[in-house]
Formats: sequence, C-alpha cells, structure tokens
Amino acid sequence: MPENRLKVDARGIACPGPITELVKAYRNAKNGDIIEVMATDPGFKPDVEAWIKRTGNQLLELREEGGTYVAVIKVTAKK
Amino acid sequence: MKKRVVVIGGGAGGAILANNLPLEDFEVTVVDRSPYHYYWPWLLYVAFRGSRRPMRREIESLLKPGINFIQSGAQSVDLNNRKVVLEGGKTLDYDYLVIATGSRPTYEQIGGHEKAVEKYGDYHSTVENAERVWKSINSLKQGTFAVVVGGDPYRCPPSPLEGVFLAEEFFRSRGLRDRVRVVFAVPYPRPYPAEPMNEVVEPLLKERGVEYITFFTLDRIEDDRKVAVSMEGEELKYDALVVIPPHVGTDVKISPEDVLTTDRFIQADKYTNNIKGFDDAFVIGDASAVPVAKTGVTAHLQAEVVAKRLQGEDARNSGRTNCPFDLGYGLGTFVISDYRNPVVKLPPSRFSHMAKMLFAATYWDMVRYPELWNPIFEAYFDATEPAKLARIYV
Repeated sequence: MPENRLKVDARGIACPGPITELVKAYRNAKNGDIIEVMATDPGFKPDVEAWIKRTGNQLLELREEGGTYVAVIKVTAKK
Repeated sequence: MKKRVVVIGGGAGGAILANNLPLEDFEVTVVDRSPYHYYWPWLLYVAFRGSRRPMRREIESLLKPGINFIQSGAQSVDLNNRKVVLEGGKTLDYDYLVIATGSRPTYEQIGGHEKAVEKYGDYHSTVENAERVWKSINSLKQGTFAVVVGGDPYRCPPSPLEGVFLAEEFFRSRGLRDRVRVVFAVPYPRPYPAEPMNEVVEPLLKERGVEYITFFTLDRIEDDRKVAVSMEGEELKYDALVVIPPHVGTDVKISPEDVLTTDRFIQADKYTNNIKGFDDAFVIGDASAVPVAKTGVTAHLQAEVVAKRLQGEDARNSGRTNCPFDLGYGLGTFVISDYRNPVVKLPPSRFSHMAKMLFAATYWDMVRYPELWNPIFEAYFDATEPAKLARIYV
C-alpha cells in the first residue's frame, strides 16, 4: 500500500495550539503514513518530542527554519 | 444601487455581521435552514447544572427590520459565478457573500461513538443530548465518570475542562465525591493544550482530585466492556462517559472545491476572512479554516471586520480570543491571546466567572443592537489586550 504524506500548516496558532493539529492529522492517518507539521509556536518542539516518546511513533526530522518548526513524523504505533 | 449581500447562516457570526451593515447601502439577505439561533455555550449548563433556561431565539427576531430572512438551507455556492442555490432550487445572486455556517460534530471517526452519545449524551450537539448528560451524572452513584476529548477541532477549547470542573463540583455537592472518580483524558501532552492556560488549570485539577490521562487519542468505545480504547491500545475504564466530538465544517456544496480542507472547513485569509482567491466572498466563525479557536468571540470579531471591509475600511483581524472558562465553585478565567501574543496566564477569579454569566445574560441584546454594544466591547478588548495583560500576569 502506498504511504500518504499529510501536510499540516499550524503556523500562527496560539490557542488551542499546534499540537491539536498534529493530533487531528494522526487520527486520520494509518501506519506507514508520514505527517509533516509546520508551526511557529515555541512550545511545539517540546510537545512533539513528548508526543513521540509517549505514543511510540517515529520522528524522522525536527528542524527550525527562520522561526518555523517543521516536524516530520512516521506513523507506526497504531494498534 | 445597493450592494446585495448574502449571508449563509444566522448564528453568532451571520447575525452580528448582518446587523452591522447599514441598510441604506446594502440589501442584506440571511439564509438559514433553521428558524432558530442557538446560544451554544449554554449546553454546558444544561448538561452539568440541569438548567432549563431557553437557549434559542428565532433568527428573525434578532435581525434588524429591513434585513431579509429566508428559512432554507443553502444547497450549493458557485463562487466564480456569484450564485447561491437554496434547497428547493431558488437562486440568489450576490455582490458579496459571507459564509457563516459554523461547524458540526461528527460521530463517524470514533468506533461506538453514536451509541455512547445515545446512552450518556454530550454537550456539543443538541439540547436533548445535553439533557442526557444531566441524567447520566444524576444516576451515577459510584464508579468512574470520564470526559474524553475525542478529536480536533471542537467548538470552544475550554469546554472539555469546563465539563470536568462542573462535574467534579456536582459530585462533591451531592456528597458522592469519595465514591465517584472523575477522570479526564486528552490526546495532548497536558490537560489544556495551550501551556500558559494549563499552568492556571492543572493545579486546580490536582487540588480537586481529578485524575487525568494525557496522550490518549481515542480510537473506539466498547460500551459492553465499559472501556474507551486509544489508538495505541491503552484502555480507560468508565461507568459513564462523555466524549467531546470532533467537528467538521460546512455541508454546503462549494465550487471551486479547492477552497475546502479535507474536513470541509473553508480556507481564508486570517486577517481579512476573504475566501482563498475571492475578493467578494468571505467566511467567518467556526466554518473557516483560519488558525484561531472555534468560538463565538472569533465569529463576533470577524463579523465586525468583514462588515467594515464591505464598507470600504481596511479593517484586519488581530486573531483575538476571549474564551470564558468556568472553573467550578463560582470561579472563572478567560483564554486571551491573539496572532502575535501567546495565551495569558489569567488567574482564577469570581470576577471572571461573573463576566461569563453577564455575557450570557446580555447575549441576545448584544446580537440585536451592535450600535449600543460595539463601543462597550471595543473598550473591553482594548483594556484586555493580551500584550497588556501579559505584563500584569507573568
């Protein structure tokens, strides 16, 4: 089955926060899919790291480019 | 020649927008499939206080004389040809279009969701379902009462925790707190997704003995075993369960389709509310995909901005939120932020709770008479700018 790449633009969200956009994309994803989230909220980086650690999905990349965080996640933990 | 403005939706955004347009210059038509405008925040008090206070009014009674109201759903919108087709086939041509159709809960994303709502109710859909929650908490004499955030987005970011706080207060006031556990589960790293507000509310949860589970992304509800199961297989046992339903956007057919996101929210400029690629069409409130909370205050402020833009003024959204947050026991706070400033750590107070209740009491008047209320709100929003409050509440 081909993998999907889901792009999520969460730049500018202060409340409720970019993590809610990641969660939304995760709900609609299946194992093997790639989720790419862009966010400007500084709380996003620690939140993604904690989310990866707890849910057991895979963080392929987390970089910062000119005030924007980009997280690339591979969905692997769904039962 | 008057400009023809068609507004789809007579809720907070649509009604406030229509009432802010001078009728000397505009011919305004509001269409809505329902004859009623609902004050949705009141579902919370139907569910957790057993309130019987009426929470709807006829849309027509809230619009200024001279505004046309058509009770009909919109079937399709053709943005390129400036046409709205109503259910029943009537076509409306417009010079300007404003879509204010809100958002609605969906029960298709979570297994067993619909059955759980029929049994325990919820407080993001209908009065009947909110009354079911009231029945559920009244019949629970021992065991676990669970509130689970089922997915994003949903109306009113504080609402899940408001339900938790009011339920905790309810069970304590009935003398059942030592026999009823109150459990809250969220898919986020913390009870409230925005960190600064979490610093205000998490200590209250601890103080009141509310248990919470983080990183819990609800997959399905198995009511025969009374468990909610996460996507990673974690199980939460309950005796009564209220799920905050994920919401989707408009069910109106819109052409071109690429203005819609996959969950049917309409993409727009976050400062002007112009629908992507159209200078004569706007989307306001929950129906839009702009990065701001789904809440009445957003619809209200965006309605004012669009009304000014239609009159030729270069008004722009600040992204301001001002979400009243009931913390139980007569306490409240507000979730205040904008595009440029993070959420303020506004401490719990009786004053904020009173402000929430005062707003509920004046809501209908506020919708109907913007000429009286706009200056009052302007003064309030100016005095409570997040940049100013952030200097006080560090």
